[in-house]
Amino acid sequence: MVVIARRLAGHLARGVVMILVVATISFFIVRSIPGDPVAAHTQKLIEQGMAPEAAAQATRVLYGFQPKGSLWEQYGDYLHGLLTFDLGQSVTHAGAPVTDVLAEAAKWTVLPVLAGTLLSFLVGIILGVYAAIKRTGKLGDALAISGSLLHGVPQYVLGLLLSAIFATLIPILPADGPVDILFEPGFNAGYIASLFDHAVLPVATYALAAYGGWILAMKSSVVTVLGDDFILAAELRGMKRSIIFRYIARNAILPLFTILALSLGLLLGGAVFIERIFNYPGLGLLLIESITMRDYALMGGAFLIITVSIIVANIVADLFYSVIDPRVRSGEEVSA
Amino acid sequence: MKRLAAVVALLGLATATAACSGGPTNKSGGSGSGGGLFTTIDVTRPGLDASGPANPWAPKGNSFLGYNGMKLGWVKNHMTDPNQFYPGIAASWEIAPDNSSITLHLQPNGKWSDGKPVTAEDVKLSLGIAYTTGSTAFAITPGAAGAAADIQVVDDKTVKITQDMSNPSAKFARGVMDSWVVPAHVWSSVLPADFWDKLKTSRGTGADADKAREEILAIGQKVLAFAPPKDVSAGPFVLERVNPGEALLLKNKNFYNAANVVPDQVKFLNYSGNEQIWNYLSAGKLDHSGFTAMPTDVMNRIKQAPGSNVIKGFSPVAVGMAFNQSKKPYDNVHVRRGLAYLVDREQVTKVASPEGGTPAVTTSGIHQKPAQEWIGSELAALEPYKHDVAKAEAEFKEAGLQKKDGKWTLADGKPWKVTMTAPNGFSDWISAQENIKSQLVENGVDAEVVTVADYPVYLEEIAAGKYDVGFWLMALGPAPYDIYQRLYGTSNGWTNVAGKVAHSAPGKAGNWMGSAEEIDVEGVGKVNPGELTAKLNAVSAEEAKPIMAQLAKTANQDLPAIQLWDYVNTQFTNTTRFSGWPEQDADVLRLPAGVWMQLGLVKKKQ
Repeated sequence: MVVIARRLAGHLARGVVMILVVATISFFIVRSIPGDPVAAHTQKLIEQGMAPEAAAQATRVLYGFQPKGSLWEQYGDYLHGLLTFDLGQSVTHAGAPVTDVLAEAAKWTVLPVLAGTLLSFLVGIILGVYAAIKRTGKLGDALAISGSLLHGVPQYVLGLLLSAIFATLIPILPADGPVDILFEPGFNAGYIASLFDHAVLPVATYALAAYGGWILAMKSSVVTVLGDDFILAAELRGMKRSIIFRYIARNAILPLFTILALSLGLLLGGAVFIERIFNYPGLGLLLIESITMRDYALMGGAFLIITVSIIVANIVADLFYSVIDPRVRSGEEVSA
Repeated sequence: MKRLAAVVALLGLATATAACSGGPTNKSGGSGSGGGLFTTIDVTRPGLDASGPANPWAPKGNSFLGYNGMKLGWVKNHMTDPNQFYPGIAASWEIAPDNSSITLHLQPNGKWSDGKPVTAEDVKLSLGIAYTTGSTAFAITPGAAGAAADIQVVDDKTVKITQDMSNPSAKFARGVMDSWVVPAHVWSSVLPADFWDKLKTSRGTGADADKAREEILAIGQKVLAFAPPKDVSAGPFVLERVNPGEALLLKNKNFYNAANVVPDQVKFLNYSGNEQIWNYLSAGKLDHSGFTAMPTDVMNRIKQAPGSNVIKGFSPVAVGMAFNQSKKPYDNVHVRRGLAYLVDREQVTKVASPEGGTPAVTTSGIHQKPAQEWIGSELAALEPYKHDVAKAEAEFKEAGLQKKDGKWTLADGKPWKVTMTAPNGFSDWISAQENIKSQLVENGVDAEVVTVADYPVYLEEIAAGKYDVGFWLMALGPAPYDIYQRLYGTSNGWTNVAGKVAHSAPGKAGNWMGSAEEIDVEGVGKVNPGELTAKLNAVSAEEAKPIMAQLAKTANQDLPAIQLWDYVNTQFTNTTRFSGWPEQDADVLRLPAGVWMQLGLVKKKQ
C-alpha cells in the first residue's frame, strides 16, 4: 500500500505540473490563432444589413465578455481562475460560465463514447481470444480480417456510411441529435427509448471503429501468452480447457487494460467527427464552434478539459496496473 | 460465454429499442390536433444551445425570427424601396415625407402568449433595449446616420419615433421597423430606472456623455445574458423546450392572426455542417429550409426526394472578384478589364453556383434585377465585358503586359501569376476560383487558388492587404448606400463617421482595395465615389437615381471588382405535408417561413 500511495503522490504532483504547463501553452496558442473575431463579427453584421456604426456597437457589447488587459494580465487572471475552477465567460453563449457550457456538452460526449468504447472492448477481447485460439481455422481468419478491415477504415468514413445507409437510404435510425424533442424529458419510456434510438448510430460507429484495434491487440496478446511455459504446464497437468482459457484471457488482457484506460482518457476529445456527423452536441462540436467563433475562453476550457482527462487517465492506468499486476505493485519482478 | 451472451443480449436490446421506438421521421406532419408538425432548420444559425434563453439579442438564444421572435414589421427588401414592410407587431405605420419620423399603430388584437396585451410600453422598452445592444436606428454612437432621437408613447397602441435630423438616413424607418419587441412585464428589469436619462446624457459630448455610453454598453451585456424564466411570445409560436439537437415550438393561441396559422407544432433541427441539411432534405424530412450551397449531384438527389419543391426569388447580393490595387499589375485598369473579358462568368456560375446564382450581365455594382430600376437605360450603355479573348489580349497589351511563349508576363518581363484567395468552407467561392484559374491558365495567364483557414482569418488578412485577388460580397441591397458601401466604403478607403466622409491611403485603416480617391469617368467627369456613396445615405429614391447611375458607370469603368454572379434566393420546401407555399419570385421569400405563416400562407395538405 505504501508503494501505491507513494506512486499516487508522485503521479499527482506530476499531473498538476503537466496541467499547468498545458494550460499555459493552450492559453498562448489559443490567443495566437490568426483571425480577428471582432472584425469578423462586425463584418457579418454589416453583411446582414446593419449600419457600420451599429455593427461596431453590437460587436463591442458582445466582445465585452472577453477578458481585458494585457496578455500577461489576462494570463494571471486565467491562472487565478483555474485555481477556483473559473474558466471565464463564453462570448458565443453571452457571458455564460465556460464551466457550465463545458459540463452541458461533456455529457453528450461521455455517454456515447463510453458506451462505444466499452462495447467494442468487450466484443473485441472476446472475439480476439477466439481469433487467436482458432487462428488456423476459417473463423479465426474471418475474425482477423474483420478486425483489420474495420481498423483500417477511418472513423468518419464509417460514420458517414452508417448515416447514409440507416438515416437517408433506409431511414430507420435517426442521425439528427441526441433525442427527439417531441418526447417530454424525464424518466418515461418514450424519452428513454428516443435516447437509445438516437445513440445507436453514434455508438455503433464508435464501437465498430474501435473494435478492430481491440480484436487485433487481443489476438496478438493471446498468441504471445499461448506460447508461455505456464500454459504448456497447465495442459500437461491435464487441466480443463475452460480453466486454461481463463488463464490465457487473464494474462493476455493485462496490456489491454492500459490501452482501455488511455482510451477512456480520450473520451472527451476523441469524438469530433462522430459528433459532427450525427449532430451530437458534445465537446468535439463545441471545440470546433469555439474555434470558428474565436471564443478564446471556451476554446481554452475545452482544450484544458481534454488534456486533464488524458492526464488523469494516465495516472489511473498506471495505478490500475499496479493493482492488477503484482510485478508492478512490488516494484520488482516476481519470480515464477 | 456468459459475458458474450450478455453482450449479444445488450446489442439485441438496443436494436429492439431502436426498432420499437420509431424515429422522428415517422412523426412529421402527423401529430398535434390536426395542424401537424412543421419541421424546419435555421440555416443561418448552426448549433442550437439547449441552455440558451428565449432572448432575441443573445447570440445563442432560442428566439426564432418570425416564429416566437417578433419585430415591429417585416422588411420586404424591396428592390428599390427599403421602407416597405409587412405588418408585425405594428399593424400599420405612417412615415413622414421627409423621413423625420414614423408613427406606429400596433395590432389592435396583439397579445402575448400569457394573455397580456401588447402595448406601446412594450415597444418603448424594446427600443430602449435596442439602444444598449446596437441597432441601425437606435445607435448611441454620436452622429450615427439615421439614429432615433425620441420615442414617444402616444397612446396604448401608438408610438411615434423621431429621427435625429442632424445626420438623417433614408433607411430610418427600416431601422425602426426591423426592431425586436419583447414584453415589458418580463424584461423591464434589464433597463435601470434612470436609463432614459442616461441615454439623453450619452447624446452629448464630454466625459459625462462618454461615461453614459459606457454604462449603456454595460447594460447591453446584461441584455445579452438575460434569461426570461419562460418564453412569452407575441408571435405565432411559443418556445416549449430545446435540447441540443432540436427545439420545439407550440402554436400561440393568443397570436393576433392565430386562426390563419396552420401548424400546431414547429420543430427546428440543429445542424453542425451543410451535409446534415443535405441529408435531411434528401430524406424529405424538412418541410422548409433556406438555401445552402451544395454540389450538383446533391441538389439532384434532393430534387428527387418525395414532395421536394424549390422556390426561387430575388436575393439582394452579388459576389465579385475584387482586386488589391496596391499590388501590381492590378493597379492598372487595363489589367482588370482584360481579366473581366477573359473570365467567362456564365461558365463560372454554372460550375460554382448553378442553383444559387445567375451570371452577372455586367459590373455595375448593383444586382441585375434592381439595376434596371435604379439606372434604367444607362444599364444598357455599360460595358458588358462579355467573354472575349481578343479584347482581353488588347487590354493586356494596353497595360504593357507581354506575351512570351504563350504566357503573359508583367511589363518588365517578370512572371505574372494571378493568386486568388478564398476562405475554407466557402465551397462556391472555391469552385469559382478553381474554374477561373482553369480559364486563365488556358489563355496563358498563370493562376493559383489559395484557401485560408476560415472567414475570420480571410477578413483579417484581406483587410491587411495580404491578398492580390479575393472574392467580396457586393451589391448588398436594397438600400442604395448599402449597395455601394461595399465597393466604396471602408474596404476601399472611405469612412463615413457622423456624416463626415474621410479617405485613407491604400494599406491604411482597412483600405485594401486601394482605388484612386478621384476617378475620371467618361461622360461624367471626375468623381469621388466614396463621397457619392455617402450622399446616398440621406437622399430620396428619386435623388438617388442619378447618383447610382454615376456610381454604376464608375464601377463599370474602373472595375474595383468584377461582378461574377448575382445570388438567387433559393428556398426548399416539401409538399408532402403542407401546401400554400409562396409563389416563385414572391417577396416573402426573403423573410423567414414563420412570417409566411403569420401572413396566412402554408396550409395543411389535404
